[in-house]
Amino acid sequence: MELKELYVTASLAQLDLSDEEAETLSALVGQMVEYFSTMREIDVENLEPTTHALLKTNRVREDAVVESAAADTLVGNAPESEGRFIVIPNVL
Amino acid sequence: MNHSARWSNVLLSPDRTESYLDYARGWEKRIGSFLELSPPVPASPPRGDLAGIPFAVKDNIAVEGFNLTCGSKMLAGLKSPYTATAVRRLQEAGALVVGKTNLDEFGMGSSTDTSALARTSNPWDTSLVAGGSSGGSAAAVAAGIVPFALGSDTGGSIRQPAAFCGIYGLKPTYGAVSRYGLVAYASSLEGIGVVAESVGFARRVFEVIRGIDPLDHSSVEYLPSGQTPPRPRLGVVRGLAGLSGEIERAYRRAADLARGLGMEVSEVDLKTFDYVVPAYYTIATAEASANLARFNGIRYGLRPEGTENPEQLVKGARNRGFGDEVKLRILLGTYVLRSGFQDRYYVRAQKIRTAIRNDLQALFGAVDLLLLPVFPTAAFKHGEAGLTPFQQKLADRFTVTANLAGIPALSFPMGSEAGAPLGLQLLAPAFEEERLFRAAESFAEAVPLEHPPGYSEEWRS
Repeated sequence: MELKELYVTASLAQLDLSDEEAETLSALVGQMVEYFSTMREIDVENLEPTTHALLKTNRVREDAVVESAAADTLVGNAPESEGRFIVIPNVL
Repeated sequence: MNHSARWSNVLLSPDRTESYLDYARGWEKRIGSFLELSPPVPASPPRGDLAGIPFAVKDNIAVEGFNLTCGSKMLAGLKSPYTATAVRRLQEAGALVVGKTNLDEFGMGSSTDTSALARTSNPWDTSLVAGGSSGGSAAAVAAGIVPFALGSDTGGSIRQPAAFCGIYGLKPTYGAVSRYGLVAYASSLEGIGVVAESVGFARRVFEVIRGIDPLDHSSVEYLPSGQTPPRPRLGVVRGLAGLSGEIERAYRRAADLARGLGMEVSEVDLKTFDYVVPAYYTIATAEASANLARFNGIRYGLRPEGTENPEQLVKGARNRGFGDEVKLRILLGTYVLRSGFQDRYYVRAQKIRTAIRNDLQALFGAVDLLLLPVFPTAAFKHGEAGLTPFQQKLADRFTVTANLAGIPALSFPMGSEAGAPLGLQLLAPAFEEERLFRAAESFAEAVPLEHPPGYSEEWRS
């Protein structure tokens, strides 16, 4: 895969690749994409895509409040917090 | 033999826990199957169908009080705020979590060697990999540290390590077991399942963990036909190429045995077989690129020092937090989903997925069970003497079919050759796990279970 294509893809995936990484990964990604092109050989005319093997309908639940006791642990897992706020670098 | 009797008392007193830890640590120095090993001290004797029985949990499945690292630097040290439904159901049946097992980073690999946190080896021979991605779970069971462990199977990640370590590995019907508490990799393909030292344990654990769960909207009510043919028709696949000698011999031997065990064996063709791996990796990486977008270092996980804006923070966290294989799969998945490429890759793969389902549906009209190898070789060596990541992906050709079609599959031991265990798998239509268990029990009568050198039951008595 061309490096330019790889960098566009990496940016969409929020990955900043070093030059060295980009060299290695462009070869590996390219190898897989080329392998994927074997899918052209099979006739898929008139076939619907399968998104889930067995899931046929959507399932919904009652729109009701459910208590969760996990909030403190969740906030406690933040790399940096102040009280119950999560600290991140300045946005502006 | 009453299997649970030998296991149900091993953690019932501080003395017994000490013996337990002695045995486990003796193995752990050599195989490194656990990322965290911390058996509980039960305050009162546990009650339930699985009372007192220790088990291990792959470290991409949540257990409150334990870490949840996915074998990644991204999540090293993360404490799980809650417990997965499958684990909770086992705990309610009295079973005890003793620790969290190593895995390929985020479940992406076939060797457990992509784990960023520890190295796991095969209990039969530590120069060999334990398989992956549930390699820690399989190694712990094969070593006799736990009678069963939970794993997850997206494209073979339960069955392949089970085969490499000489034990049983069940990938259930899609949706039969709640995925609540499983860190998502490829949501339409994966599920929680079990590796076990016996068919009996695999069946009992599956009975406990299955069933609809309001916390997982893709979970389904378990509705088996209830019919298990007394003389099942077994399909063996014609003309499988690229198998190692020992796997080819094991496959032929199993087909011959099946006839002796009263099964009706016939040869079948899988027309879509050549396209299962590209279709699988297109879909799995596409889903992975979306699922792993959530790891951005803001609310939890690795965060780089000294970043000046949120974009730097997110990119820095992902660059340093993810290993090479994870980056490769995220990039691939992002690429196949890019505007302009979707029809060529992702949509085409989903149509092939339909062809695979149709292929299997027709096949299961003619046979009740399908016999396949799990992997083209027995356990391979660590590092450069083993298989390249690309070769490992091509070798997933026997396992990914069950994930693409959502059907259950069970890998079972078929003896060993040259000090490495051999495994094969049975596939059945959706919800027909009982057919798999029955057939595997028949094979077990003819092929006694072997254990790795150093395995012992004496400390349990």
